[in-house]
Amino acid sequence: MTRQSTASPTLLTQSRAVSKRFGHFDAVVDVSMNVAGGEVVGLLGANGAGKTTLIRILLGLIGASEGEALLMGAPPSREQRSSIGYVPQSLGLYDDLTVKENLDFTASAYSQARPSVPADLADHADTLVGDLALGTQRRLAFACALLHRPALLVLDEPTSGVDPLSRARLWDTIHQQADAGVGVLVTTHYMQEAQQCHRLLLMSGGRLVAQGSEHDVIGGTTAVEISTDDWAAAFSVLERAGEAVTLDGTDVRVADGDAHRLQLVLEAAGVPARIRSVPATIEERMTVLARAERVSSTPTRS
Amino acid sequence: MSYGVSDAWVRFGSQAALRGVSVDVPTGQVTAVVGGDGAGKTTLLRSLVGRVGLDQGSVAVPARERIGYLPATAGSWLDMSVQENIDFVGGAYGLAGQALAQRSDPLLERADLAGVRDRLSGQLSGGMRRKLGFCLAMLPDPELLVLDEPSTGVDPVSRVDLWRLISEAAANGSAVLMSTTYLDEAERCASLLVLHDGRTLLSGTPHEVVSSLPGTIVSTATLSRPDFGWRHGRELREWFPEGRQPTGGVAITPGLEDVVIASSLKLALDGEEQP
Amino acid sequence: MILKEFRELRRDRRTLAMLIAMPLLLLVVFGYAANFSVDTVRTAVVGPQAEQATTQLPAFFDVTTVEPDGTRSTAEDLLQRGEIDVAFVSSTGSAVALVDGSNLFAAQSIVSVLNRLSDQVTTEVLYNPELKTSWVMIPAIIGLILTFIGTIITSIGLVRERQTGTLEQLAVMPIKPSTVIFGKIAPYFLVASIDMALITVLGMWLFSVPFNGNPLVFALGGALFLFVVLGLGVFISTVSQNAGQAIQLAFFFLLPQILLSGMIFPLDAMAAGVRWIAYFLPLTYFTMISRGVMLRGAPLDSLWLPIGALTVMALLVFTGAVLRFRRDLAPTRRKRVSTTEEGTETDTQAGST
Repeated sequence: MTRQSTASPTLLTQSRAVSKRFGHFDAVVDVSMNVAGGEVVGLLGANGAGKTTLIRILLGLIGASEGEALLMGAPPSREQRSSIGYVPQSLGLYDDLTVKENLDFTASAYSQARPSVPADLADHADTLVGDLALGTQRRLAFACALLHRPALLVLDEPTSGVDPLSRARLWDTIHQQADAGVGVLVTTHYMQEAQQCHRLLLMSGGRLVAQGSEHDVIGGTTAVEISTDDWAAAFSVLERAGEAVTLDGTDVRVADGDAHRLQLVLEAAGVPARIRSVPATIEERMTVLARAERVSSTPTRS
Repeated sequence: MSYGVSDAWVRFGSQAALRGVSVDVPTGQVTAVVGGDGAGKTTLLRSLVGRVGLDQGSVAVPARERIGYLPATAGSWLDMSVQENIDFVGGAYGLAGQALAQRSDPLLERADLAGVRDRLSGQLSGGMRRKLGFCLAMLPDPELLVLDEPSTGVDPVSRVDLWRLISEAAANGSAVLMSTTYLDEAERCASLLVLHDGRTLLSGTPHEVVSSLPGTIVSTATLSRPDFGWRHGRELREWFPEGRQPTGGVAITPGLEDVVIASSLKLALDGEEQP
Repeated sequence: MILKEFRELRRDRRTLAMLIAMPLLLLVVFGYAANFSVDTVRTAVVGPQAEQATTQLPAFFDVTTVEPDGTRSTAEDLLQRGEIDVAFVSSTGSAVALVDGSNLFAAQSIVSVLNRLSDQVTTEVLYNPELKTSWVMIPAIIGLILTFIGTIITSIGLVRERQTGTLEQLAVMPIKPSTVIFGKIAPYFLVASIDMALITVLGMWLFSVPFNGNPLVFALGGALFLFVVLGLGVFISTVSQNAGQAIQLAFFFLLPQILLSGMIFPLDAMAAGVRWIAYFLPLTYFTMISRGVMLRGAPLDSLWLPIGALTVMALLVFTGAVLRFRRDLAPTRRKRVSTTEEGTETDTQAGST
């Protein structure tokens, strides 16, 4: 992917040691991050990890308890809204209006000229949004967010529930924007999309536990891959032994597993298997983090 | 033994939600139905559990008391606690007291919900709520388990937990039919069905489905025909249906997602060519 | 912003209907129905010299019953049954006019006319001697509150289930539709019944409203009325997508009842062209029952009309609501044969839902 070089990569949004407390609940703890123009930053984490709260602080929808959040170098304010494009998970479209009417409304809200309906939505220009398929609705939400040519795009799970082809097409648009210098902050649960990001931020329990490339985020966590003819038996045995076991096709994997110990457990149960250590996936890293969190959980965190 | 539908047609007014779809759901396996929003997954699942009648075709299912269903929305009653939900659903299936505890305790344990029995379902995180819905669907020890997008919108960690629970249900002898938009989950299933616009696009074991695509898919830096290309991770991929060796670009072993995208592209292009 | 709101409004049929229908309704009501002054009152003349008295009375008194052999108790009987508004009883020497105080505006008109007429007739107001408005309003308000609870709260409870998607699950579980419906209505019925008892007692205590009649008759009327409004609540829930729509529709049913059921404006004073609407409203009949029992101690058989009407309404509304609800719960009707250990069922469906 080629990236048009900008004279100096401006930090479009950044947080410096931001924390947010709701009563006794620490939603965000000491998070420092940033997004520059031209890059796609993926925000990963389990539900309740603090992703949505962080986004709301960055956008200026709520204030931080500690630390500061900067938007285009200044504290978030209403005037900067015109340089942000935000697509929440609920899309923010009006079901009772047509595609064209939604575009018209958004354009006038941002004081833009009357927009033309994008080519890929032209067939549905006069259809009510409530009657559209989810993939098409998301494309429309995108188009609305891009109308005022924002410098920063914030997308909350833009492809949840959408078929693979439409997902790929949406990400084409994301990359086009990044190539043109727009900064994109996106949350996703699809690991394949995480791989498309230039940088990743992994949150767990309100903290930023890892950032950087996919390799950085996996952070040396390994997994054990178990090949066996009787996957069901291997699965049950390891499950009862309390391991973080999952299926991958017909292979059984254990995140952060001790290869030697697992071999013993399986042999004792009479299940023959070939075992080897492999690098973990991002999901497995997240599983390991979650299990650790559950073990050491304080009453204030769910 | 196998449950399922054969040559199912469902029409809502002038629209057809299912056009001649067939699916087999054998016991002891997880069968996946894949497709985007509007492909017909929910209609197919609803026809199996009796919420929608077929206009044509036939359905083979066990008795109502032996079916477990997790709908795409909800899955549990938000204003009731975990335990109250269990009691209610258990009661509907004739389970109470000791018998209910015998069934529900291990389910809740494995779903990691045993510690939050008194928490309201509405106060659980999305992933935990889906797991509760799964436990409720499993209460009657169903012969047929139907799950509508059990892990959509759920965080990756809970998704892994859910997948564990689902594979275990199959391992214990249930016939499981699950709809999903996550292709990595579909790839782990014994067989799958890809729907598009109410029609069957692809079907078979993951291996069969992947092998069914003619031609080659290459990983490349530039696309020779944008209509045949898409983005995958950091690279671009392009499909050559004729299979001729392209210059530049490396042929790859296609994954399930590649095959689904390529087939969808083909469908879209065929649609345009016809008058 | 303005354009957007207009566009959305154009497509929101329910709100549009309300915006158009409501002003029309109010106009009609205040044009034809809102009238406190009664033109004629139903009169009975009882006792010797009855026929002569009849000819002497002004046109205001519409003589419907003449009983030359009757006594005061005959007159009281007729009043209690609500068949007349005023009875003139003449016996040796004195003449008494007995007025039905439970029909407030008629009674007020009668009293003022009689005061102007002559000193020969002694006026006696029965059932509501001080012609208090609260005594006449409370029985009606009991009905109004029940309508509120029954329609709005029932419909919201059911719509919420549909909205969250849990109705889907209910439908698949092996519970009979009738069990679901019963389970959903019963709590509201219970709560509403308790509410009815509470409000009645409270009204009696705070405003000294009497309870002269048979509590069982009151309970019967109340129960029938509850069935109607609960059935209405179920029906509203089957045609509403969300709580907002349900409330809108419930309000649509509530407002006409407030204005046209005889609660505020007396039925007798309404122009005939509008009065017929009142006879289709359940609150009209409940008010007849509650006022009759509480103020006049009316016997059961005198209330055959409102009780009969409520029974018919309850049957109609409830049947309709249950049928619609059943359709939501069990869209496919399949002949089921119970599965054996090995066998499964195969249904061939020919024909749409």
